[in-house]
Amino acid sequence: MNATLSIGFSVGLSILIAGCASTPKQNASIDEARSAYMAIEQDPNVARSGAAQLRQAKLELDRAQSLLEDGADINRVEHVAYLAQRHAEIALQQGKRADLEEEISSAEERRKQLMLQMKSNEASEARMEAEALRAEMAALKAEKTERGMVLTLGDVLFDLNEADLKASGKRTVERLAEFMEQYQERRVRIEGYTDSTGAAEYNQGLSERRAMAVRSELMNQGIPGSRIEVEGYGEAYPVATNDTSAGRQQNRRVEIVISDESGSISTR
Amino acid sequence: MKPHLSLTRILTTLALATLLTACAGPGPKPDSELQSAESSIKQAEASDARRFQPVLLNEAMNKVADARALIDEEEYTEARRLLEQAEVDAQLAGASSETEKAQRAVAEINNNIENLHQQLNSNQQ
Repeated sequence: MNATLSIGFSVGLSILIAGCASTPKQNASIDEARSAYMAIEQDPNVARSGAAQLRQAKLELDRAQSLLEDGADINRVEHVAYLAQRHAEIALQQGKRADLEEEISSAEERRKQLMLQMKSNEASEARMEAEALRAEMAALKAEKTERGMVLTLGDVLFDLNEADLKASGKRTVERLAEFMEQYQERRVRIEGYTDSTGAAEYNQGLSERRAMAVRSELMNQGIPGSRIEVEGYGEAYPVATNDTSAGRQQNRRVEIVISDESGSISTR
Repeated sequence: MKPHLSLTRILTTLALATLLTACAGPGPKPDSELQSAESSIKQAEASDARRFQPVLLNEAMNKVADARALIDEEEYTEARRLLEQAEVDAQLAGASSETEKAQRAVAEINNNIENLHQQLNSNQQ
Protein backbone atom coordinates (compact mmCIF):
# COMPACT_ATOMS: atom_id res chain seq x y z
CA MET A 1 0.00 0.00 0.00
CA ASN A 2 2.78 2.43 0.91
CA ALA A 3 4.43 1.81 -2.42
CA THR A 4 1.22 2.51 -4.32
CA LEU A 5 0.74 5.73 -2.41
CA SER A 6 4.21 7.02 -3.11
CA ILE A 7 3.86 6.17 -6.78
CA GLY A 8 0.64 8.13 -6.84
CA PHE A 9 2.36 11.11 -5.24
CA SER A 10 5.22 11.11 -7.64
CA VAL A 11 2.90 10.91 -10.64
CA GLY A 12 0.88 13.82 -9.29
CA LEU A 13 4.02 15.82 -8.65
CA SER A 14 5.39 15.24 -12.10
CA ILE A 15 2.11 16.42 -13.63
CA LEU A 16 2.27 19.51 -11.44
CA ILE A 17 5.85 20.22 -12.49
CA ALA A 18 5.01 19.69 -16.16
CA GLY A 19 2.05 22.06 -15.76
CA CYS A 20 4.20 24.83 -14.30
CA ALA A 21 7.22 24.30 -16.41
CA SER A 22 5.99 25.98 -19.59
CA THR A 23 3.89 29.06 -20.44
CA PRO A 24 0.45 28.10 -21.83
CA LYS A 25 0.50 27.02 -25.43
CA GLN A 26 -1.36 29.09 -28.03
CA ASN A 27 -3.93 28.04 -30.59
CA ALA A 28 -5.96 30.41 -32.82
CA SER A 29 -9.24 28.48 -32.46
CA ILE A 30 -8.94 28.41 -28.70
CA ASP A 31 -8.14 32.12 -28.64
CA GLU A 32 -11.19 32.84 -30.74
CA ALA A 33 -13.42 30.74 -28.52
CA ARG A 34 -11.93 32.38 -25.44
CA SER A 35 -12.66 35.88 -26.67
CA ALA A 36 -16.23 34.83 -27.57
CA TYR A 37 -16.56 33.50 -24.05
CA MET A 38 -15.03 36.54 -22.37
CA ALA A 39 -17.27 38.90 -24.34
CA ILE A 40 -20.37 37.45 -22.68
CA GLU A 41 -18.99 36.24 -19.36
CA GLN A 42 -20.32 39.31 -17.53
CA ASP A 43 -23.47 39.80 -19.62
CA PRO A 44 -26.44 39.83 -17.21
CA ASN A 45 -28.85 38.63 -19.93
CA VAL A 46 -26.60 35.65 -20.63
CA ALA A 47 -26.30 34.97 -16.91
CA ARG A 48 -30.08 34.93 -16.70
CA SER A 49 -30.96 32.84 -19.74
CA GLY A 50 -27.82 31.29 -21.16
CA ALA A 51 -26.11 30.14 -17.97
CA ALA A 52 -26.00 26.44 -18.90
CA GLN A 53 -24.52 27.12 -22.33
CA LEU A 54 -22.05 29.57 -20.79
CA ARG A 55 -20.88 26.88 -18.38
CA GLN A 56 -20.53 24.42 -21.25
CA ALA A 57 -18.45 26.97 -23.15
CA LYS A 58 -16.13 27.37 -20.17
CA LEU A 59 -15.87 23.61 -19.71
CA GLU A 60 -14.97 22.96 -23.35
CA LEU A 61 -12.61 25.90 -23.36
CA ASP A 62 -10.68 24.50 -20.41
CA ARG A 63 -10.72 21.06 -21.98
CA ALA A 64 -9.36 22.39 -25.26
CA GLN A 65 -6.59 24.23 -23.44
CA SER A 66 -5.55 21.20 -21.41
CA LEU A 67 -5.62 18.98 -24.52
CA LEU A 68 -3.34 21.53 -26.15
CA GLU A 69 -1.01 21.52 -23.16
CA ASP A 70 -0.89 17.72 -23.20
CA GLY A 71 0.10 17.79 -26.85
CA ALA A 72 -3.05 16.05 -28.01
CA ASP A 73 -3.90 15.62 -31.67
CA ILE A 74 -4.49 19.08 -33.13
CA ASN A 75 -7.77 17.98 -34.77
CA ARG A 76 -9.05 16.99 -31.38
CA VAL A 77 -8.02 20.36 -29.89
CA GLU A 78 -9.67 22.24 -32.73
CA HIS A 79 -12.82 20.18 -32.36
CA VAL A 80 -13.18 20.97 -28.67
CA ALA A 81 -12.42 24.64 -29.35
CA TYR A 82 -15.18 24.57 -31.98
CA LEU A 83 -17.63 23.24 -29.39
CA ALA A 84 -16.57 25.93 -26.93
CA GLN A 85 -17.07 28.61 -29.57
CA ARG A 86 -20.53 27.35 -30.46
CA HIS A 87 -21.65 27.12 -26.83
CA ALA A 88 -20.58 30.73 -26.31
CA GLU A 89 -22.50 31.77 -29.42
CA ILE A 90 -25.62 29.92 -28.30
CA ALA A 91 -25.39 31.53 -24.86
CA LEU A 92 -25.13 34.94 -26.52
CA GLN A 93 -28.27 34.28 -28.60
CA GLN A 94 -30.18 33.06 -25.57
CA GLY A 95 -29.22 36.22 -23.69
CA LYS A 96 -30.26 38.44 -26.60
CA ARG A 97 -33.55 36.67 -26.86
CA ALA A 98 -34.27 37.12 -23.15
CA ASP A 99 -33.53 40.81 -23.48
CA LEU A 100 -35.83 41.12 -26.50
CA GLU A 101 -38.58 39.25 -24.75
CA GLU A 102 -38.41 41.68 -21.87
CA GLU A 103 -38.66 44.50 -24.37
CA ILE A 104 -41.69 42.84 -25.92
CA SER A 105 -43.53 42.51 -22.66
CA SER A 106 -42.90 46.11 -21.65
CA ALA A 107 -43.94 47.27 -25.13
CA GLU A 108 -47.09 45.21 -24.83
CA GLU A 109 -47.84 46.93 -21.56
CA ARG A 110 -47.31 50.30 -23.21
CA ARG A 111 -49.57 49.33 -26.09
CA LYS A 112 -52.28 48.25 -23.68
CA GLN A 113 -52.08 51.60 -21.91
CA LEU A 114 -52.33 53.46 -25.20
CA MET A 115 -55.34 51.47 -26.27
CA LEU A 116 -57.05 52.14 -22.96
CA GLN A 117 -56.27 55.81 -23.31
CA MET A 118 -57.67 55.82 -26.82
CA LYS A 119 -60.83 54.09 -25.70
CA SER A 120 -61.39 56.55 -22.88
CA ASN A 121 -60.69 59.45 -25.24
CA GLU A 122 -63.27 58.11 -27.64
CA ALA A 123 -65.76 57.62 -24.85
CA SER A 124 -65.29 61.13 -23.52
CA GLU A 125 -65.52 62.55 -27.03
CA ALA A 126 -68.80 60.74 -27.55
CA ARG A 127 -70.00 61.98 -24.18
CA MET A 128 -69.04 65.54 -25.03
CA GLU A 129 -70.80 65.30 -28.39
CA ALA A 130 -73.96 64.00 -26.82
CA GLU A 131 -73.77 66.73 -24.20
CA ALA A 132 -73.30 69.41 -26.86
CA LEU A 133 -76.24 68.08 -28.83
CA ARG A 134 -78.45 68.14 -25.76
CA ALA A 135 -77.39 71.73 -25.07
CA GLU A 136 -78.10 72.77 -28.67
CA MET A 137 -81.51 71.15 -28.60
CA ALA A 138 -82.27 72.88 -25.33
CA ALA A 139 -81.19 76.23 -26.80
CA LEU A 140 -83.58 75.65 -29.72
CA LYS A 141 -86.31 74.79 -27.22
CA ALA A 142 -86.87 71.55 -29.09
CA GLU A 143 -89.15 69.07 -27.37
CA LYS A 144 -88.77 65.37 -27.37
CA THR A 145 -91.85 63.71 -28.90
CA GLU A 146 -92.56 60.27 -30.32
CA ARG A 147 -91.69 61.67 -33.75
CA GLY A 148 -88.29 62.78 -32.46
CA MET A 149 -87.12 66.22 -31.45
CA VAL A 150 -89.67 68.83 -32.48
CA LEU A 151 -89.13 72.57 -32.52
CA THR A 152 -92.30 74.66 -32.61
CA LEU A 153 -92.34 78.12 -34.16
CA GLY A 154 -95.36 79.84 -32.72
CA ASP A 155 -97.82 82.10 -34.51
CA VAL A 156 -96.14 85.17 -33.04
CA LEU A 157 -93.13 84.58 -35.29
CA PHE A 158 -95.27 85.27 -38.36
CA ASP A 159 -97.30 88.30 -39.35
CA LEU A 160 -101.03 87.65 -39.15
CA ASN A 161 -102.23 85.75 -42.21
CA GLU A 162 -98.80 86.30 -43.75
CA ALA A 163 -96.08 83.83 -44.56
CA ASP A 164 -93.17 86.19 -43.81
CA LEU A 165 -91.05 85.47 -40.80
CA LYS A 166 -90.66 88.23 -38.26
CA ALA A 167 -87.16 89.18 -37.11
CA SER A 168 -87.52 87.04 -33.97
CA GLY A 169 -88.61 84.11 -36.16
CA LYS A 170 -85.54 84.57 -38.33
CA ARG A 171 -83.29 84.44 -35.28
CA THR A 172 -84.80 81.11 -34.29
CA VAL A 173 -84.25 79.73 -37.81
CA GLU A 174 -80.68 81.07 -37.70
CA ARG A 175 -80.02 78.99 -34.60
CA LEU A 176 -81.51 75.97 -36.33
CA ALA A 177 -79.24 76.58 -39.32
CA GLU A 178 -76.21 76.73 -37.02
CA PHE A 179 -77.31 73.47 -35.48
CA MET A 180 -77.68 71.84 -38.91
CA GLU A 181 -74.33 73.22 -39.95
CA GLN A 182 -72.74 71.45 -37.02
CA TYR A 183 -74.66 68.19 -37.31
CA GLN A 184 -74.38 67.49 -41.02
CA GLU A 185 -76.13 64.13 -40.78
CA ARG A 186 -79.34 65.72 -39.46
CA ARG A 187 -82.23 66.65 -41.72
CA VAL A 188 -85.43 68.52 -40.91
CA ARG A 189 -89.06 68.32 -41.88
CA ILE A 190 -90.92 71.60 -41.76
CA GLU A 191 -94.65 71.25 -41.15
CA GLY A 192 -97.16 74.13 -41.33
CA TYR A 193 -100.45 74.16 -39.36
CA THR A 194 -103.33 76.64 -39.00
CA ASP A 195 -106.44 77.02 -36.89
CA SER A 196 -109.89 76.24 -38.33
CA THR A 197 -110.91 79.85 -38.92
CA GLY A 198 -111.61 80.58 -42.60
CA ALA A 199 -111.71 78.31 -45.63
CA ALA A 200 -109.89 75.02 -45.41
CA GLU A 201 -108.25 75.57 -48.78
CA TYR A 202 -106.95 78.94 -47.74
CA ASN A 203 -105.63 77.43 -44.52
CA GLN A 204 -103.95 74.62 -46.46
CA GLY A 205 -102.20 77.17 -48.67
CA LEU A 206 -101.20 79.34 -45.72
CA SER A 207 -99.71 76.38 -43.86
CA GLU A 208 -97.69 75.47 -46.96
CA ARG A 209 -96.49 79.04 -47.52
CA ARG A 210 -95.36 79.40 -43.92
CA ALA A 211 -93.48 76.11 -44.08
CA MET A 212 -91.86 77.24 -47.34
CA ALA A 213 -90.90 80.55 -45.74
CA VAL A 214 -88.97 78.70 -43.07
CA ARG A 215 -87.36 76.52 -45.74
CA SER A 216 -86.14 79.46 -47.78
CA GLU A 217 -84.80 81.16 -44.68
CA LEU A 218 -82.88 77.98 -43.84
CA MET A 219 -81.53 77.85 -47.40
CA ASN A 220 -80.55 81.54 -47.10
CA GLN A 221 -78.47 80.43 -44.15
CA GLY A 222 -76.66 77.95 -46.40
CA ILE A 223 -78.53 74.72 -45.65
CA PRO A 224 -79.02 72.69 -48.87
CA GLY A 225 -82.62 71.98 -49.86
CA SER A 226 -81.93 68.28 -49.93
CA ARG A 227 -81.80 68.32 -46.15
CA ILE A 228 -85.19 69.97 -45.81
CA GLU A 229 -88.63 68.43 -46.31
CA VAL A 230 -91.73 70.59 -46.35
CA GLU A 231 -95.39 69.73 -45.70
CA GLY A 232 -98.52 71.82 -45.17
CA TYR A 233 -101.26 70.25 -43.03
CA GLY A 234 -103.72 73.13 -42.96
CA GLU A 235 -106.29 72.73 -40.16
CA ALA A 236 -105.33 69.12 -39.42
CA TYR A 237 -103.68 67.99 -36.19
CA PRO A 238 -104.71 70.81 -33.86
CA VAL A 239 -102.81 70.87 -30.58
CA ALA A 240 -105.52 72.81 -28.76
CA THR A 241 -109.19 73.72 -29.07
CA ASN A 242 -110.24 76.01 -31.88
CA ASP A 243 -113.05 77.37 -29.70
CA THR A 244 -110.95 79.89 -27.82
CA SER A 245 -108.59 82.51 -29.16
CA ALA A 246 -105.74 81.17 -27.00
CA GLY A 247 -106.35 77.67 -28.40
CA ARG A 248 -106.44 78.94 -31.98
CA GLN A 249 -103.16 80.78 -31.46
CA GLN A 250 -101.56 77.52 -30.35
CA ASN A 251 -102.87 75.76 -33.43
CA ARG A 252 -101.31 78.35 -35.75
CA ARG A 253 -97.75 77.14 -35.83
CA VAL A 254 -94.86 75.66 -37.76
CA GLU A 255 -93.31 72.49 -36.39
CA ILE A 256 -89.77 71.50 -37.31
CA VAL A 257 -89.04 67.82 -36.83
CA ILE A 258 -85.33 67.07 -36.47
CA SER A 259 -84.16 63.76 -37.89
CA ASP A 260 -82.12 61.14 -36.06
CA GLU A 261 -78.42 60.85 -36.87
CA SER A 262 -79.11 58.61 -39.88
CA GLY A 263 -81.18 61.44 -41.38
CA SER A 264 -84.55 59.71 -41.27
CA ILE A 265 -87.69 61.40 -40.05
CA SER A 266 -90.94 59.65 -39.21
CA THR A 267 -93.90 61.22 -40.99
CA ARG A 268 -97.41 61.63 -39.72
CA MET B 1 -4.31 -11.24 3.58
CA LYS B 2 -7.03 -12.46 1.29
CA PRO B 3 -9.24 -9.32 1.16
CA HIS B 4 -6.14 -7.18 0.56
CA LEU B 5 -5.20 -9.27 -2.40
CA SER B 6 -8.61 -9.03 -4.03
CA LEU B 7 -8.53 -5.20 -3.59
CA THR B 8 -5.28 -5.02 -5.51
CA ARG B 9 -6.77 -7.23 -8.16
CA ILE B 10 -9.81 -5.00 -8.46
CA LEU B 11 -7.62 -1.92 -8.73
CA THR B 12 -5.51 -3.53 -11.41
CA THR B 13 -8.55 -4.56 -13.39
CA LEU B 14 -9.94 -1.06 -13.12
CA ALA B 15 -6.70 0.52 -14.24
CA LEU B 16 -6.49 -1.88 -17.14
CA ALA B 17 -10.03 -1.17 -18.16
CA THR B 18 -9.40 2.58 -18.07
CA LEU B 19 -6.30 2.13 -20.14
CA LEU B 20 -8.16 0.03 -22.64
CA THR B 21 -10.98 2.51 -23.13
CA ALA B 22 -8.54 5.39 -23.48
CA CYS B 23 -6.41 3.66 -26.06
CA ALA B 24 -9.04 1.59 -27.76
CA GLY B 25 -9.17 4.04 -30.69
CA PRO B 26 -12.60 4.48 -32.24
CA GLY B 27 -14.48 3.56 -29.05
CA PRO B 28 -18.13 2.51 -29.13
CA LYS B 29 -20.57 3.37 -31.88
CA PRO B 30 -21.76 7.00 -31.33
CA ASP B 31 -25.44 6.11 -31.15
CA SER B 32 -26.37 8.56 -28.42
CA GLU B 33 -24.50 11.38 -30.21
CA LEU B 34 -26.45 10.60 -33.36
CA GLN B 35 -29.67 10.77 -31.42
CA SER B 36 -28.82 14.09 -29.76
CA ALA B 37 -27.73 15.66 -33.03
CA GLU B 38 -30.94 14.62 -34.73
CA SER B 39 -33.14 15.84 -31.94
CA SER B 40 -31.31 19.18 -31.93
CA ILE B 41 -32.00 19.49 -35.66
CA LYS B 42 -35.68 18.76 -35.05
CA GLN B 43 -35.79 21.42 -32.37
CA ALA B 44 -34.09 23.92 -34.65
CA GLU B 45 -36.65 23.19 -37.34
CA ALA B 46 -39.41 23.76 -34.79
CA SER B 47 -37.84 27.17 -34.16
CA ASP B 48 -38.16 27.94 -37.89
CA ALA B 49 -34.43 27.62 -38.54
CA ARG B 50 -35.25 26.51 -42.07
CA ARG B 51 -36.48 30.04 -42.65
CA PHE B 52 -34.15 32.10 -40.47
CA GLN B 53 -30.89 30.12 -40.40
CA PRO B 54 -30.96 27.82 -43.43
CA VAL B 55 -27.18 27.79 -43.98
CA LEU B 56 -26.32 26.76 -40.44
CA LEU B 57 -29.13 24.23 -40.32
CA ASN B 58 -27.92 22.72 -43.58
CA GLU B 59 -24.41 22.50 -42.22
CA ALA B 60 -25.70 20.53 -39.26
CA MET B 61 -27.68 18.20 -41.49
CA ASN B 62 -24.72 17.60 -43.79
CA LYS B 63 -22.54 16.75 -40.82
CA VAL B 64 -25.08 14.19 -39.66
CA ALA B 65 -25.22 12.67 -43.14
CA ASP B 66 -21.42 12.49 -43.30
CA ALA B 67 -21.34 10.97 -39.82
CA ARG B 68 -23.75 8.25 -40.87
CA ALA B 69 -21.46 7.33 -43.73
CA LEU B 70 -18.48 7.25 -41.35
CA ILE B 71 -20.39 5.05 -38.92
CA ASP B 72 -20.99 2.59 -41.74
CA GLU B 73 -17.23 2.52 -42.24
CA GLU B 74 -16.75 2.13 -38.48
CA GLU B 75 -14.88 5.44 -38.34
CA TYR B 76 -16.45 6.19 -34.98
CA THR B 77 -14.07 8.86 -33.70
CA GLU B 78 -14.51 11.15 -36.68
CA ALA B 79 -18.24 10.38 -36.79
CA ARG B 80 -18.56 11.33 -33.11
CA ARG B 81 -16.86 14.67 -33.69
CA LEU B 82 -19.10 15.49 -36.60
CA LEU B 83 -22.16 14.60 -34.57
CA GLU B 84 -21.06 16.73 -31.62
CA GLN B 85 -20.53 19.64 -33.98
CA ALA B 86 -23.85 19.05 -35.73
CA GLU B 87 -25.58 19.21 -32.36
CA VAL B 88 -24.17 22.62 -31.42
CA ASP B 89 -24.62 23.91 -34.97
CA ALA B 90 -28.29 23.00 -34.83
CA GLN B 91 -28.66 24.48 -31.35
CA LEU B 92 -27.15 27.72 -32.56
CA ALA B 93 -29.41 27.74 -35.62
CA GLY B 94 -32.43 27.30 -33.36
CA ALA B 95 -31.30 29.89 -30.82
CA SER B 96 -30.57 32.58 -33.39
CA SER B 97 -33.87 31.86 -35.15
CA GLU B 98 -35.63 32.53 -31.87
CA THR B 99 -33.68 35.76 -31.49
CA GLU B 100 -34.63 36.80 -35.00
CA LYS B 101 -38.29 36.08 -34.32
CA ALA B 102 -38.19 38.08 -31.10
CA GLN B 103 -36.54 40.94 -32.98
CA ARG B 104 -39.36 40.94 -35.52
CA ALA B 105 -41.96 40.85 -32.79
CA VAL B 106 -40.32 43.90 -31.17
CA ALA B 107 -40.34 45.75 -34.49
CA GLU B 108 -43.98 44.89 -35.07
CA ILE B 109 -45.19 45.95 -31.67
CA ASN B 110 -43.18 49.18 -31.81
CA ASN B 111 -44.73 49.89 -35.17
CA ASN B 112 -48.10 49.26 -33.62
CA ILE B 113 -47.38 51.66 -30.79
CA GLU B 114 -46.21 54.30 -33.24
CA ASN B 115 -49.52 54.00 -35.11
CA LEU B 116 -51.49 54.31 -31.90
CA HIS B 117 -49.51 57.42 -30.96
CA GLN B 118 -50.26 58.97 -34.32
CA GLN B 119 -53.95 58.16 -34.02
CA LEU B 120 -54.09 59.63 -30.54
CA ASN B 121 -52.33 62.79 -31.67
CA SER B 122 -54.51 63.26 -34.72
CA ASN B 123 -57.65 62.72 -32.63
CA GLN B 124 -56.56 65.39 -30.21
CA GLN B 125 -56.09 67.95 -32.96
